[in-house]
Amino acid sequence: MKFRAIFRFELAYQARRAWLWLIFVALIVFAFLIARDGELAQMLYSDFFVNSPFAIAKTTVAGGIFWLLMAAAVAGEAAARDVATGMHPLTYTAPVSKAAYLGGRFLAAFVINAALLLAVQAGIVLAVYLPGVHPDLIGPFRPAAYLTAYFYLALPNAFIATALQFSLATRSGRAMSGYLGSVLLLFMATFVASMLAFRRGIGKLLDPVGMRFVLDDLSHAWTTIEKNWRLIELEGTVLANRLIWLGVGAGLLALTYLRFRFAHKTPRSTWWRRLRRRATLAPTPTRLGVTASAPISVPEVARTFGFALHARQMLAIAWTSFRTIATSRAGLGTLVFIPLITVLVVIDQVAHSGVVLVPTTTQVLRELTAPLSAELSRWVIIPLLVCFFAGELVWREREAGLGEITDALPGSEWAPFLGKLLGIGLVLGVYMALLMTAGIVAQAIMDYRTFEIALYLKVLFGLQLPEYLLFAVLALAVHVVVDHKYVGHFVAMLAYVFIAIAPVFGVDHSLLVYGAGPTWSYTEMRGFGPFLAPWLWFKLYWAAWALVLAVVAKLLWGRGQERGLGLRLRLARHRFTRPTTWTAAAAVGLVLTLGGFVFYNTNVRNEYLSASEIAERSAEYERRFKQYESLPQPGLTATTLQVEIHPERGAVDIRGTYDLVNRSAVAIDSIHVETASSVETRDVAFDRPASCELDDEELGHRIYALESPLQPGDALQLDFHVLFEPHGFRESGIDAPVVANGSYFTNAALPVIGYRSDRELTGAGDRLAHGLEPRPLVPSLHDADACKKRDGGSAFDAVVGTVEDQIAVAPGALRRTWTENGRRYFHYSTDGPIGGQWAFLSAHYAVHETAWKAPDSGREVAIRIYHHPAHTVLLDRMVHSIEASLTCYSRLFGAYEYGHLTVVEQPGNGVGMHAEPTLVTFSEGFALQKPLDPPERLDLPFATMAHETAHQWTVPYAFVEGAPVMSESLAWYYAMQVVRETYGPSQLRRLLSFMRQPYPIEPIRRGEPLLRGLDPWMSYRKGPFALAALSDTIGADRVNEALRRLVEAHRREDAPPATTLDLYRELQAVTPGEFQYLLHDLFEVNTVWEFETERVKAEPADADAWQVTLDVHARKVVVDEAGVETEMPLDEWIEVGVFAPVESGYELDQPLYLEKHRIASGNQTITVTVPRRPDLAGIDPYHRLDFIENEDDDNIEEVVTGS
Amino acid sequence: MELHIRDVSKTYPNGVQALKGVTLTIPVGMYGLLGPNGAGKSTLMRILATLQEADRGSVHLGDIDVLARKDEVRRTLGYLPQEFGVYPKASAQELLEHFALLKGIAERRARRSVVEALLRQTNLWEVRKQKLGGYSGGMKQRFGVAVALLGDPRLMIVDEPTAGLDPAERVRFLNLLSELGENSVVLLSTHIVEDVSELCTRMAIIDRGEILLEAEPLRAIDELRGRIWRGVISKEALPGLEREHAVISTKLLAGRTVARIHGAARPRPDFEAAEPDLEDVYFCTLAGHIGERRERLEPAAQR
Repeated sequence: MKFRAIFRFELAYQARRAWLWLIFVALIVFAFLIARDGELAQMLYSDFFVNSPFAIAKTTVAGGIFWLLMAAAVAGEAAARDVATGMHPLTYTAPVSKAAYLGGRFLAAFVINAALLLAVQAGIVLAVYLPGVHPDLIGPFRPAAYLTAYFYLALPNAFIATALQFSLATRSGRAMSGYLGSVLLLFMATFVASMLAFRRGIGKLLDPVGMRFVLDDLSHAWTTIEKNWRLIELEGTVLANRLIWLGVGAGLLALTYLRFRFAHKTPRSTWWRRLRRRATLAPTPTRLGVTASAPISVPEVARTFGFALHARQMLAIAWTSFRTIATSRAGLGTLVFIPLITVLVVIDQVAHSGVVLVPTTTQVLRELTAPLSAELSRWVIIPLLVCFFAGELVWREREAGLGEITDALPGSEWAPFLGKLLGIGLVLGVYMALLMTAGIVAQAIMDYRTFEIALYLKVLFGLQLPEYLLFAVLALAVHVVVDHKYVGHFVAMLAYVFIAIAPVFGVDHSLLVYGAGPTWSYTEMRGFGPFLAPWLWFKLYWAAWALVLAVVAKLLWGRGQERGLGLRLRLARHRFTRPTTWTAAAAVGLVLTLGGFVFYNTNVRNEYLSASEIAERSAEYERRFKQYESLPQPGLTATTLQVEIHPERGAVDIRGTYDLVNRSAVAIDSIHVETASSVETRDVAFDRPASCELDDEELGHRIYALESPLQPGDALQLDFHVLFEPHGFRESGIDAPVVANGSYFTNAALPVIGYRSDRELTGAGDRLAHGLEPRPLVPSLHDADACKKRDGGSAFDAVVGTVEDQIAVAPGALRRTWTENGRRYFHYSTDGPIGGQWAFLSAHYAVHETAWKAPDSGREVAIRIYHHPAHTVLLDRMVHSIEASLTCYSRLFGAYEYGHLTVVEQPGNGVGMHAEPTLVTFSEGFALQKPLDPPERLDLPFATMAHETAHQWTVPYAFVEGAPVMSESLAWYYAMQVVRETYGPSQLRRLLSFMRQPYPIEPIRRGEPLLRGLDPWMSYRKGPFALAALSDTIGADRVNEALRRLVEAHRREDAPPATTLDLYRELQAVTPGEFQYLLHDLFEVNTVWEFETERVKAEPADADAWQVTLDVHARKVVVDEAGVETEMPLDEWIEVGVFAPVESGYELDQPLYLEKHRIASGNQTITVTVPRRPDLAGIDPYHRLDFIENEDDDNIEEVVTGS
Repeated sequence: MELHIRDVSKTYPNGVQALKGVTLTIPVGMYGLLGPNGAGKSTLMRILATLQEADRGSVHLGDIDVLARKDEVRRTLGYLPQEFGVYPKASAQELLEHFALLKGIAERRARRSVVEALLRQTNLWEVRKQKLGGYSGGMKQRFGVAVALLGDPRLMIVDEPTAGLDPAERVRFLNLLSELGENSVVLLSTHIVEDVSELCTRMAIIDRGEILLEAEPLRAIDELRGRIWRGVISKEALPGLEREHAVISTKLLAGRTVARIHGAARPRPDFEAAEPDLEDVYFCTLAGHIGERRERLEPAAQR
């Protein structure tokens, strides 16, 4: 009865509040935009129905995050309104039970929140069915899709969040504590759950809002078909996650119930307070009050007013503001807890990411910084906390009841505004200092002692702090102008959401998104490069806006009783004092001049295209020129280039000649030349009379008509001149292929002959929107035309010039180098034709040179590693790997075709490498890997280098389904051969174990067969595993033989490009009949083997024999693209192993027994005898077939010894 | 230096007319503003304390235009609002120093000495290190006075300061205030008549936004001499008495009703002449027997 009354009153009271309805409407609009846009940063990677269950779930999660930020006050109010308003003596003394009071309030808050979240579903429905969506993109209406999203995702989230917010607010007696609850939940989702150490499973369970377990996990694991049709079900991770968090919510409520007292709030007597009390509790004076005759004798002191007063007031307010925040619970959390956990995060990211890095300051800083707008980064909590602090500070005096006194103090409104801003600034400054300390501590823990303090200071205080400060100005100004605490938070959150996902709202240009701008980056080689200047100009422009905001906040600063916005606007006129007027004028002037300057750079000096304009351009290109796609065009046989790199002004000047030949059977009368948009292409000329018929500069397509057609077999020369020089900066920052140190660019800037289908729009939705025919992302494996296309390769000859103190690198053998006119020139050329991608690099390189001699022919191959002078640690390993690879591959798969191999470092913090014929490039991050020595540790740089070297044997392949398998899977299989040959099988097992880690490539259970594989799991993991499994079964020699034949057949210039079908055919040819099934299972269908060892018992049989009994379970299923699983009968030879204990290192290094057993589907018992006491045993212990290794490897069990 | 209030009006957005053409001249010394709850006292006080805008009228402190040049007023203003809080985690000394700085006492040593003097004056010196959260109502109020006294104010606005104080605290508090009146304008708003009668040299009575009487308390009492009659009546007789005579107040005294009547002649034989006090002035003014309201009522009565 009373419960109902309390519940209904609370519901009715809150439902009358206008801001609640504001949130409701905002949620509808937000869900509408997200559902329509479907592109919340990286949340989406492929096209599907607007109303597919997955899209609905995704929008539900995004809307839930939005709700979490906006509506925290609902639960806060319900829990804390009585204490906050001072009503509690009346309510607490009413004859109401704790259960009815808390229960009624909580339930009301939960019901309101649940109702608010309905707005998200409403927004989705509107997004789907209001006009504007192409009917083809709308799937059938399925109520279950909305219901599952709401009941499995939204409603549990509402319960958890309401419970946490309610508990915190009850405890503190302040409604805004609810907001801290929201921040805490997001902290769990973004910060904690993203730790790599947690990535396997626990991370998905630790995330209370669905960012990981829906957006990350499902969007990764589900195929497009599943995303369109499959409903979210309460099973597996989703179920576990929901149960855990519902349990946490219920636990919090129980705790709140137990701790709650209908009692006056007195300061809690914690140990901390007890300690302090001794110092602060002075004796109460015996004499109270004032004696009647005491004259007032306050000394006369001088007072100062004017600027000095304002400055002092500002500093005083700043200091107290800082102290208030720093001693508050949220502040302590920010300043103590976050830096502490950051230490763990840094160690986690640097050490657990599979690739063990040297924790250089550059690497650590990558973990400590993020642009303000990175809404999915772990640092999203900082702007959220800034919003919270801003609200607390703006309302500080009023909430303490001191508002009237402080408002009547002398001084302008600048002092409190700037003081509070400075207060937040101090908090952020201290936070940055602590973050820096955290980074240094993490480095020290990882035994790295080169602390680059100056770099820390530059990045954290020079680049990251301003980003936060700009936002702090906005948050403060919003709170001042809105002058309503909850609405203020709502508007500040809205502002942040807008900043974070402006493109969803249809705003692309950084000049229109507060605080936005191009990002900066730093590498040891390049430094900040030219990227800092555009960053700075944008930030200066936004600082000018911040000044405008500050003036607005000063003018509208709420002082005294007059709080209406209209009244404050009228009062503002009186506040236009001379300094304020000057400041305002200066601010507006700065906004205009800086904005004008930025606009001049981004839109006048450079072309600015919004995302939709870029898409439209691609569509227009296809519409106009697709007709020429099948037109015969001459092929490239040789390229001669004169490349002038000018690092000092970021420019490059290329004069080139293409030798073309008509390989078709018909005469060609017009040449189609496709020019790149980022450069200026001029002086296109032929060695025979030709006229330009069409020059579409915007779309980059030119047509030259030849006066006399090019007859089949005839040759033709094309001269061109390509210029690149940056003019100011672009909206996206600076386009800087050429920098002071570390220039890198490819032939993408050079003209291409014939229609370029790679310029076409690929997304199905995009194509539909632009009225284009659907096309597959990648041509089908069975598309005969696509399989025939071959870029035959061409001869390459380039003279590359750069400044005198740098070295320029290009494909081909270095023929000569000389100095001329103060510039250094390098002449590169190839012995034979090479593939169509060429990189050009120039930097202050150090060169590490050696030569490898082919054991059989004695031919020498020059190996040159061009590297940043400081990055020398891995050089010997790289050389070792290259030499071992060349020896191994030329023996197994065919001779190395060139006389040189060049490896070049390029700026960038990634660990990636990239191989082109004769030229391998690697990012600086690769050089910063920690050198680990076999046999105990995995020498990953050695294996990676072997993989890249193996790409030299990659045969020309058709760009159809399965293409990445042809390139990456084979190269990894090659690398495995070198690793085994050099370091032995134990190191190979280590490599495979590393590859089975779910990071950076997570396994996918369902999908297309390997022959059609496209994604990284297929090409980098499953392909190599499958080849290894096959070579285990039929013998490495047979597999190697098949691959050698593949190389032989397709290396020939006139051979057609290879596809996975060619590979498959070669493998079939070497596989004995009894193992053809395995080949089929590995390549033709997507087979998953699942083995589990349930129990292992061992008993001593006699003096030196132990009898080991294994209870195992086996299963084989085929999983198709839609995720449908079909159980297959299993009857195969599977490895069974028993292992002795190892002192250190890989635990399966000492097999006591390793033999194949005939295994059938289901449960079975295997008994073997080993000579020594075993430690571990299991079925398929090395995961030769069961590729997907679970959290705790269930193929292996510890041996239970009994007598 | 005087405070001149001319024709100040204020209407709230909800239509309540809080002040209707208030005109007052307030000299140096203690000035009492007496009126019932909701009379417009606090609105007037806040306008004088620069916290609220007047719709109409002007206010001058000496030659400072209070409504237009707020910052100048604030430099010389001491304001003790009707209700205020404190930062519970700060100590008295700490917070007072903070306010001293905000009031422009820049020099550290001067600030220290002023703060010490004020804390001693308000007898908070011994508890200066204690957190304000633990202060009693009286201590908090005295702390408020200390804040208001910072910077030697020439205009002191004190809004219903004695409402929550126990009798002893109240006396001490008023003593403290009276010291101030010697060279500043001290405006004290209250609905407790004794506060004014004990302290103020001049006073005004305000009701429903209008000044009904502006007078010196003693002279106003004098003017009522011989016109106040007191008698003990039964409860049942009260309605009849109210119909025939101007009953200005009734009080219970040991279970019987004591009525006071305003009139030129003895109303009933069992009534005796009573010594008038400020409370009689207050009630007579509110009832319209003297002051502005009478001047407006009388012409109507003569018709």
